[in-house]
Amino acid sequence: MKDLFDKQVASLRDYHFLILYWAAKAESQHIKYNITNAYDDLKYHRITRTKQSAVAYIESLTTLCFLSMVEEHNRKNLYITNYGAKVLELLYSQNIYSIKPSNFLEG
Amino acid sequence: MSVGVGGAGSKLASLLDEGSATIFDVSGVELDKVEACSKIRAVAHSSKAQLKGSRKDPEIGRQAFQSVKNKALDLIKGQTVFCSTGGGTGNGLCSVMLEHLSALDSISITNKTVFVFVVPYAQRESSDFVDNTISFLEGPVSKAIDAGNTGNLIVFSNKVKFEQRIPEKTFNKMIIESLNHFLHIPIKGEELKQLDGNIDYEDFCLYKTKPYFNHFCQFEYDQDVPFGKQLKANYNELLLDPEGTIESLFLLELPNPDLTNSFYSILDYFAEDDVSPMYSVLHNPELKKPLITVSLLYSRKPLELVDDFNAISGRHKRNRVEKSLDQYVTLSRLEVDLTNEAEKVWRESHTEGDEVLNVLKRIGKL
Repeated sequence: MKDLFDKQVASLRDYHFLILYWAAKAESQHIKYNITNAYDDLKYHRITRTKQSAVAYIESLTTLCFLSMVEEHNRKNLYITNYGAKVLELLYSQNIYSIKPSNFLEG
Repeated sequence: MSVGVGGAGSKLASLLDEGSATIFDVSGVELDKVEACSKIRAVAHSSKAQLKGSRKDPEIGRQAFQSVKNKALDLIKGQTVFCSTGGGTGNGLCSVMLEHLSALDSISITNKTVFVFVVPYAQRESSDFVDNTISFLEGPVSKAIDAGNTGNLIVFSNKVKFEQRIPEKTFNKMIIESLNHFLHIPIKGEELKQLDGNIDYEDFCLYKTKPYFNHFCQFEYDQDVPFGKQLKANYNELLLDPEGTIESLFLLELPNPDLTNSFYSILDYFAEDDVSPMYSVLHNPELKKPLITVSLLYSRKPLELVDDFNAISGRHKRNRVEKSLDQYVTLSRLEVDLTNEAEKVWRESHTEGDEVLNVLKRIGKL
């Protein structure tokens, strides 16, 4: 299983890393962070220009159980899972990607 | 007259020549400890040295020599100088004396100086003593042997003192007693009835002016046992063992004049090595068995002596290093996983201020 986990982590990209980070940061500030907020932040950092791509990134993370999507008051809010937290820590410790601020949370 | 240099040398000189020895030291306190006819203080620059002596530092002795140079060089002419090679004063002052003598073109026979050195027992004594001795033998003694401007060099070792646990005073008496066996050869020649050969004062003084190491010993002579075997069994344990003999001298004292011819077998022994010894056969009615005093002059290269000391000094240093390692350093086997170690280092370097970890900790997902 560890091999599988390592392979899953290795296939993630910087946008996955950023989505995980922003979702965690929002939770730490008791702010709800949803798919639209993630799309806006990705667009702000010129990572994607289409919402479909943002949704695809998020769905891949939820499929891998690194992120959970919860429908609350007609909004699909994003919460990082315990596995996602480990992934985020690991990616950060490997110094592959650097964090970028969320325009929604800090802008 | 004998001349003592430094603490140990002064004690020996005063034992040999009670009341007529001259002694040199940098410390007034040390001079006061020894009875001597003449006490000369070499002036050291440091006040500590004036009070406590050179404290194993030969450089202090060397510097102090300038203050007594003329007097010392004049006094040692034709005399016997005693010093230990391990300390500071004896080693320092004697080093300059030997260097001065080595630099001279030639010295008349009557002015040649016999040097008596006491070397440390490397296995028991301080490594400072051993290192000082190595420098002394490598430098001034080596030069003096090459120049040939000294008389006999007599090297006593502290080995017996330490191995047999002998008090210093007793050991010094043993050294002087042993030396007197050799020095009394011409005196006995005058006192006892001569049976064959002759060693008078002039012969003896000439022998003492030869610039070689001198090994002497005294033992009861059994004419039925080969002389070589007896000699080897009775080497003087206070002195370093001799090498190939260049010249020799012996005094045979016989209780019965009928045994006079027994000295020929001794001559035969030396003849095998192409050595023609000076000899004297005397009648000593006080003895029960024949007694022989032998002196062997040999030219052992000082570098070989130094090698012996170096080997021991090297072993001491290695042991000290090994002991220090054993005492202070524990080298346990470490199983290191580089990935884990890298992560550990990363965790340690990313402290409280780290953004991502703080976020994850705050939400309780780690």
